[in-house]
Amino acid sequence: MEKTKLSIISQIKNHFNDAREKNYPYNRVDFSVRKEIVPQVLLYLKDVMGFKHLSHISCVDWLEDNEFELVFIVWSPADKIKVFVHTRLDREHPVMDNLDMIWRHAHTYEREMREMFGIQFTGLDAPEEFLLEDWQGPPPMRRDFDTETYAAETYWERPGREDAQDVRETIEKRTGEVLPDFAKNYKR
Amino acid sequence: MINDKNSQKIVDIIRNYARKHSLWILAYGTGCGAIEIPPTMTSRYDAERLGVRGAATPRQADVLLITGYLTTKTLKRVIRVYEQMQDPKYVIGFGSCTINGGMYWDSYNTIKALDRYLPVDVYINGCMPRPESVLAGFAKLQELIQAGKADGAKKYKENLEWYRENQKKVIPTWRMPEYNW
Ligand code: SF4
Repeated sequence: MEKTKLSIISQIKNHFNDAREKNYPYNRVDFSVRKEIVPQVLLYLKDVMGFKHLSHISCVDWLEDNEFELVFIVWSPADKIKVFVHTRLDREHPVMDNLDMIWRHAHTYEREMREMFGIQFTGLDAPEEFLLEDWQGPPPMRRDFDTETYAAETYWERPGREDAQDVRETIEKRTGEVLPDFAKNYKR
Repeated sequence: MINDKNSQKIVDIIRNYARKHSLWILAYGTGCGAIEIPPTMTSRYDAERLGVRGAATPRQADVLLITGYLTTKTLKRVIRVYEQMQDPKYVIGFGSCTINGGMYWDSYNTIKALDRYLPVDVYINGCMPRPESVLAGFAKLQELIQAGKADGAKKYKENLEWYRENQKKVIPTWRMPEYNW
């Protein structure tokens, strides 16, 4: 049976009452759910609704909200529809359920997120070290990790780059373009 | 054994001449620059007319060509590869990433100056260098070899402690064999 996006939304909302949905154009539907029911939602999507393929798991660091957001992207080859499942974790103690028994390749994403963001997956059976070898700093993809200072302290730098200019500032000076306020918070 | 100075000089000239015309390279394709090696080696630019050819293993190679940024993880392997190579050996640093970090200057995981960790004989700059500049780099290396000035390996042996100290600074758990040359 062909499923439309609206039928997917109503089916998910029937099963998981507190799922909030967002209907995007084209073939994309987003759901936000509590982290406790993520495995159930994904299993339901996979086994009942035919979303057989996990395309990606990504992590977003919402430093201002003190939260991490995990996004699971699943794809239905029959209906050609993508579903994004969002969930938020506490940033101080980011713990999530391990999902590699649903899709085996979730294992790889989880190891990477554990290393890069410091998210713990309960029951993830893998060595701590993944891509970074003997890394001793904090998880490097967290937004409060100051890459520039770390690099300056760790690696010797050849003199001669001191006159490097701030790209944004230079553009502003040369073209008179006015930067939006939020852009001023970020260097380069 | 030849003892007198003049005949040593003649031997050196012949030896250097032979060395400069058979540079077997071990292309350690880190970073993006490795993509310029195939055009350099194949018919368009044909590096083989300078005697430059690919070698299969470190022990058969003369030139270690490092083509871009090095993460600390790769640096470990590169050091090992370099130490396995036999004399005469030369290092070419390829691309601005090996010189001063290039556009990865603020990365948490890449070194910024290759010559702190390995002795570099020739740097080729550019991001990435075109095959012409790669060939110019090889020509420069040949010039240095003929003049007897490409002595990176000697420098490495003599200043091994300094190099080791730098290497160990970025590679905290040092699990490398100690060679006894
Ligand atoms: S110098 Fe440029 S092309 Fe070469 S590795 Fe660095 S960024 Fe890539």
